[in-house]
Amino acid sequence: MKRKLLLLITFLLTGSMFARAQNITVKGVIKDREGITLPGVSIKVKATTQGVLTGVNGEFAIKVPANAVLLFTYLGFKNLEESINGRTELNVTLIEENRQLSEVVVVGYGTQRKGDITGAVSVVSEKEFESRPNTQFGNIIQGKSAGVQVISPSGKPSAGISIRIRGTNSISGGSDPLYVVDGVPSSDTRSLNPSDIESISILKDASSAAIYGAQGANGVVLITTKKGKSETPKVEFSAYTGFSSVWKKLDVLNGEQYRILMTELGRNTDWTKYTANTNWQDEVFQNGNSQNYQLALSGQSNKTSYYVSGGWVQQKGAVRSSEMDRYNFKINMDQKVNKWLNMGTNIAYTRYHDVDVSDNSAVNQGGVILGVLSTPPVIGIYNTDGTFTSNPFQNWENPIAGTDGAERGYKNQRFLGNLFAEAIILPELKLRSSIGIDYSNAAYDYFLDPIRTSYGQANKGIGQYNTNLMNYWISDNTVAYNKAFGKHTVSALAGFVAQKSRWENSSIERRNFSGIAVTTPNGGAVIQSANADKSEQTNASIISRVNYDFAGKYLLTANFRSDASSIFGPGKKRGNFPSFSVGWRISEEPFLKNVNVINDLKIRAGWGIVGNDRITGSYLSKVGVGANYPIGGTVQPGSSPTSIGNDKLQWEGTEQTNIGIDLSVLNSRITFTADAYLKKTNHLLLNVPIPRSTGFDVGIQNAGSLQNKGLEFQITSRNFVNEFKWETDFNISFNRNKVTNIVGQQLFAGGVASRGDASLTQEGSPLGLFYGYVADIVDPQTGNLMYIDANGNSTFNPAASDRRVIGNPNPDFIYGFTNSFSYKNIGLNIFVQGSQGNDIFNASRIETESMQGPKNQSTAVLERWTTPGQITDIPKAVADNDNNSRISTRFVENGSYLRVKSATLSYDLPKSILSKVKMGNAKLYVTGENLFTITDYKGFDPEVNYAGGANTVQGIDFGTYPQTRNLIFGLNVSF
Amino acid sequence: MKIKYIAYSLATILSLGLPSCKKFVELTPISDATSATAYSTAREAEAALIGVYDSFSQEYYIWDNVIFGDIISDNHYAGGDNSEVFAVDKLEITPTNSRLFNNWSQLYNAIAKANTVLQKIPLIKDAKLDVDNRRSQILGEASFLRAFHYYQLVKLWGGVPLVTEPAASTLPSDTNKPRATETEVYAQIIKDLEFAVINLPDTYPGGASVTKARATKGAANALLAKVYAQKQEKNYIEVLKYANAVISSPAAYQLLNNFADLFDGAHYNNAESILEVQFTGGPEANWGPQLILPPSISGDTWRKFVTPSKDLVNAFASEGDNVRKNATILFETAPWSDEYWSIAVGGSVPFAYKWKSANGWASTNRQYLLRLGDIILLKAEALNELNRPAEAKVELDKIRIRAGLLATTSVTKDALRTAILKERRLELAQEGQRWDDLKRAGRAVEVMNSLNEIDLRTNTKTNYNAVATDLILPIPQQELNRNTNLVQNPGYN
Repeated sequence: MKRKLLLLITFLLTGSMFARAQNITVKGVIKDREGITLPGVSIKVKATTQGVLTGVNGEFAIKVPANAVLLFTYLGFKNLEESINGRTELNVTLIEENRQLSEVVVVGYGTQRKGDITGAVSVVSEKEFESRPNTQFGNIIQGKSAGVQVISPSGKPSAGISIRIRGTNSISGGSDPLYVVDGVPSSDTRSLNPSDIESISILKDASSAAIYGAQGANGVVLITTKKGKSETPKVEFSAYTGFSSVWKKLDVLNGEQYRILMTELGRNTDWTKYTANTNWQDEVFQNGNSQNYQLALSGQSNKTSYYVSGGWVQQKGAVRSSEMDRYNFKINMDQKVNKWLNMGTNIAYTRYHDVDVSDNSAVNQGGVILGVLSTPPVIGIYNTDGTFTSNPFQNWENPIAGTDGAERGYKNQRFLGNLFAEAIILPELKLRSSIGIDYSNAAYDYFLDPIRTSYGQANKGIGQYNTNLMNYWISDNTVAYNKAFGKHTVSALAGFVAQKSRWENSSIERRNFSGIAVTTPNGGAVIQSANADKSEQTNASIISRVNYDFAGKYLLTANFRSDASSIFGPGKKRGNFPSFSVGWRISEEPFLKNVNVINDLKIRAGWGIVGNDRITGSYLSKVGVGANYPIGGTVQPGSSPTSIGNDKLQWEGTEQTNIGIDLSVLNSRITFTADAYLKKTNHLLLNVPIPRSTGFDVGIQNAGSLQNKGLEFQITSRNFVNEFKWETDFNISFNRNKVTNIVGQQLFAGGVASRGDASLTQEGSPLGLFYGYVADIVDPQTGNLMYIDANGNSTFNPAASDRRVIGNPNPDFIYGFTNSFSYKNIGLNIFVQGSQGNDIFNASRIETESMQGPKNQSTAVLERWTTPGQITDIPKAVADNDNNSRISTRFVENGSYLRVKSATLSYDLPKSILSKVKMGNAKLYVTGENLFTITDYKGFDPEVNYAGGANTVQGIDFGTYPQTRNLIFGLNVSF
Repeated sequence: MKIKYIAYSLATILSLGLPSCKKFVELTPISDATSATAYSTAREAEAALIGVYDSFSQEYYIWDNVIFGDIISDNHYAGGDNSEVFAVDKLEITPTNSRLFNNWSQLYNAIAKANTVLQKIPLIKDAKLDVDNRRSQILGEASFLRAFHYYQLVKLWGGVPLVTEPAASTLPSDTNKPRATETEVYAQIIKDLEFAVINLPDTYPGGASVTKARATKGAANALLAKVYAQKQEKNYIEVLKYANAVISSPAAYQLLNNFADLFDGAHYNNAESILEVQFTGGPEANWGPQLILPPSISGDTWRKFVTPSKDLVNAFASEGDNVRKNATILFETAPWSDEYWSIAVGGSVPFAYKWKSANGWASTNRQYLLRLGDIILLKAEALNELNRPAEAKVELDKIRIRAGLLATTSVTKDALRTAILKERRLELAQEGQRWDDLKRAGRAVEVMNSLNEIDLRTNTKTNYNAVATDLILPIPQQELNRNTNLVQNPGYN
């Protein structure tokens, strides 16, 4: 380490000596024609090797002979020469040539021009999402970037999203990318306010993500919020109101059909007591609505830039009782303190609240969505005494008990911010120090009254209050060096990063309430549980990067990051993650330079390793508390081992290779990017299921490896550019995932409907394949569903060993297709998105077609076998028997879909009118979301997974809150 | 000037970054202990032991012992709405039935905790631990508990993997133990119990609420008696020896005069109890009663589990045994249809009634793990099998007379054998004993196949199709998946 330090100091000193040999200092700011400052512009003294680059705000300072000529070059802009003539201040405006290449892209710990990037980086800029309403961060990037799969497992207002960049890389570790908001890593994207976001960079390959080493294995999503830009203060106001509904309803048996089925099952009752005709889908699915108001003020004075915003969004879901609302405040400020010091802050405060609806479970576990389908229509909502009605044969309460039975709510107050200082030590050398925090304080309230539900009655009321406090801080200290020597441009970055997370949880539950006047736990007489626990995790890292550019033609990026994590044991804490990438801008070579049709052509190649330490638990053998037991009439404290330690546990590492090509042609009207990648994850952090005879369920191990390989294509075309504008953007991604080694284990997961596990992960196959029996025909003689055994014979009593892989939830490819049209003041944006070749295991149909108990069933069972000789697909009804409804191919469906994710029609009010009311811009729009879906899937919606973002369980539908169809009207105004 | 900046800045960076780096990433858990910190004092030794006892409040000892002791047998129907419990009732248990894996996991978890105590406690250097021989008592208690859990395992599955030390690592060589034979498992149980008998006291200071909660010499003797009767190579001489040791124990176990007192919820830790699960309410409560008690008690209107069978009700009737029937079964009208008792809603249906209070899922009602009534009947069985029927009759009659019945009229060994088996049924129904008794008597298959239980939905006799391989359960499929060294029991695939 010492030697490295010595090298660094020597390096810095030589740099400063260069600077000393000059006569006058010229300072200035470089901007484009719109007045936006340009960082990274190369400034050279003509006919020498001396030069500098502009800083983040386009500023520069260089010592030169008084008669020198400066040469300004910047990718995508025309070169410019200026004679100094003794001036000490020189502000320059550069003229744009090719916008895309010069676009400044936020990369890890800095920015880069798009044209200089050698890794695989996708950018989603404000332009692409400002024209449509977004309540959630995930909406912004879904379908917009090749290789990025946004999984929205449910349509709840409160549902988060999970994102997979280039496939799932881990089994027991986390697979979501790292989100970095203005330099502060973050995990919860639900509380981010989309209106404050300026751009999103998605670092997909090792080379670009390696600077985040430890947490970058799943890719990195860099979110940059807005900053003040224009000299005149700008006020922006936006508002929308929307309506949502479940776009599909499923047909279930009516009262008469239900009675007949029950009679067939041998279940009789006094049917005269059950004469209601309740349509549970109509009762529970409602017209949701939403409203959103955002106000922002931004600007830039001489030395200060600021952005301040506040907003409120509220959503009432399409399923009764579900709701969400969010207040957000944001301040970004940047102050030039003096000639060498720049300080600033980014602060966000969010108050988030939601009411969740219990889904992904059967009616007997209180699942509302399956309750809607399997509650018979013959009962009303309330009994005469005000309690909820139940199934005639079971005390499964109707789904309104699930939505209305308990008062509940989650709220989260979150403060996310940083404070940074940048010191310009030398024109070439900049020091940056930043402290960031992410502090969130969440509370969950729950009250089940002692009256209306049977569980509430039995417990005489239940009150819960749980809190989760998360306190995270990160300290970054980096030194950056930029220098141009003739045709060589070098930039280097080195630094230290320390991070700590701390979690504090508490929960209290009391039971036995006297009534409903007091709903907080203090109203309950019996303390059922009272808990508080804390945990923490730390990481300490050294980061470094070198970018080298020769004549804008040959580009090289090298990263090295060394991470230490508290998750691993002595001797295993540190992981080293190097990466390299190179780019060759062929279009800069003489042989292509004069080919006018090609504006830019670059090929890129990169290799690197990034790490993952995101597991729950650590290398330690833990001994838990709480195994208490009463002896002598009082509860005694008891302990029990809760995990088997593993001193050898170490970093999971993903080795990635990427090659890519960027091409723009025809005056950059068409740009095309393609990437191919191979990712191999080794030392897979795996909670290996171990024999329960050890007393434990799993043991954390570095067991095995998996790989993802894929192809991504993105093409953007400006088809018409005049008064009528038409832009097309298309991206498509192919990812193939394979588990190459999991120490011979078969990992079963995804248990549904009391039928066992439906998902299997095994060597040589993709993650989370569906696993079960192969259904044969319904035997015309017996009415039983036959299965095909391992020998290919038809049998009604298959063995466990006859199960095999019956489906694959991983898509062959996913794609997004956006067309924007505008003519004069009218704009139309249509965004189509889809997934092809994935299967869905429709476990909801096990609930609605198994005909073995008193649950109501779908109309599919009207075709059931009733008489010998009958040929049908639906077996007979057999009471209390699961043999006709095993996990089998009977419930595997094609999950491919293509949907119009959103379509927006907008109208910009003419300037002539606006100027009269002193307004800058005003836009009115209407947006439809999920307007139209093409799919063979029989369930509510094909974008579904009951296990959320789980790695080894995908594509299982088990009473999941469906995606909704939304209609939104909005207004954006600025002045 | 500039150089000074640089020097300062670098010094700042370094002081922030490097020196603290190593310490910074060394964390110990805040709200968990670790194996290095959890076992160093006498109090921590007690906590580790309490952790083993805590397994008695897990699902197996609350619930599944009844499913796999009574529902599986001729005593009770499944009731309720769970297809996996129906499968147990009908003897259609498949390896994927999740109750199997639950029970297997819970019992082995209890064993792992006992193994940890047996490994860690001898290493603790705390002089307080050796006051009044407490260290050897703790080891005796842990040995007893390990034996108790292995006894459940071996009854359910036959030979199971014999794990007597905590797993050293997560490597398959340390974790994938093959099955031991049934004989080997019983040998380990007996070895542990013999150790326990030597090291355990008859009673503990603190009275019955401690003595009936903890393993005692009496409990070890009682379990030895049951083990020698239940294992394949029965040894009734040993059964008699250990049963006598219980009966003559200085702990002074006595039959309660009034049978109903055993189950009225007002006589916990009574003189007849040798070992019972301790529930005190609140978080240490029994949720089981809510699942079985009728609407009038539970306040629920949903269908309850563990419905007494017609055959059981008839058995009580045939002996005119109202005392025990009334303590064991309660008839009530049910707002649901029951396929054996009343297909019409609102018919009279019996409920399992040895637990009497539901208390909103938080009952203090207990299950006896060992009680004297069982041991006296076991002594009768041993005497009879040892060709001492006259003495056997004396023991049997103690139980009958306490239940308000007349002395048995059986005289011959064969007649007494049948009488004792029936007496055990009436005495111990809903206490998880019936299936073991039938298996021990070699009559499980015959009894199940001769039942005449009419399913009113179809008006046909339920055919249990019992075969010899039904007597032990299939090894859970999930465990077979995890441990490739295991072999499935015959009759299951």
